[in-house]
Amino acid sequence: MRLARPRENRLEVNMTPMIDIVFLLIIFFMTVNQISDQTNEPLELSKQPGSQDQSQGAMTINIDAAGQIVVAGETLSVIDLAAAVSGEVERANNDPAAVTVIVRADRRGDCRSFNQVVGILARLDVSRVRFAVESSP
Amino acid sequence: MKLSSRSGRHAAKIELQMTSMIDVVFLLLIFFMVTSSFRETERELDPAVKIERQSGAQAADLAPTIIRIVRSGGGDFVYQLGGRELRDQAELTQVLSQLENQAEGAFVRAADDAPLDMAMSAIQAAKSARYRTVTYQPPDA
Repeated sequence: MRLARPRENRLEVNMTPMIDIVFLLIIFFMTVNQISDQTNEPLELSKQPGSQDQSQGAMTINIDAAGQIVVAGETLSVIDLAAAVSGEVERANNDPAAVTVIVRADRRGDCRSFNQVVGILARLDVSRVRFAVESSP
Repeated sequence: MKLSSRSGRHAAKIELQMTSMIDVVFLLLIFFMVTSSFRETERELDPAVKIERQSGAQAADLAPTIIRIVRSGGGDFVYQLGGRELRDQAELTQVLSQLENQAEGAFVRAADDAPLDMAMSAIQAAKSARYRTVTYQPPDA
């Protein structure tokens, strides 16, 4: 007697889109982390509504609660900062008006370093200076 | 004559396995929902910056408003506006809004040992009071 062959239940898990997305995510977060680590230090900014959304700046100057000036992960002295800002101005064809600087300062600190930084920017005629604040939810 | 049809048994069955994709999409959605609630949006204040120069006296009918952040007699920092001493940002905003020299602009000057948060609050108060230009002026070293 000829018996009917039992039907095979083939369970297929298509992993291709999953792997695609997982790799894409890994690359995305690695890139984003690198960029944010380079420019923005983890600071507690002043809680203010601000006057505009944050724009892309040529240079981001971080001032921590202790008054240390950090640019692109490196702690700079006031003299080094002046040299770095001059370099940015030179890169912008010696046009200080073309350089946008974002100053991110920790709200728990005092104005000493902040005043020094703003003084340097004003002396170098960098007029497009933005102070970062954190809008409250 | 019988022609074989394209449809029917011989047609290749295209199956799209959407389960894993949907899983990942939901996972992503949850991830972004959770992280976005923790991160606060950064915004900007855009004052002009200028160095204080004592000789730069301005001759105008309506002088610009100068907000100083100084230590009061009690030892704590206050916003000094002319002869008045104001303690909080809301009060400062209210007083600035009542002035009529918004077109002349406002200057914010903070002493070196003043809290930075107060400097930002003063700039924000002047912006909220609709001053046309707000200038931050550090004391000249």
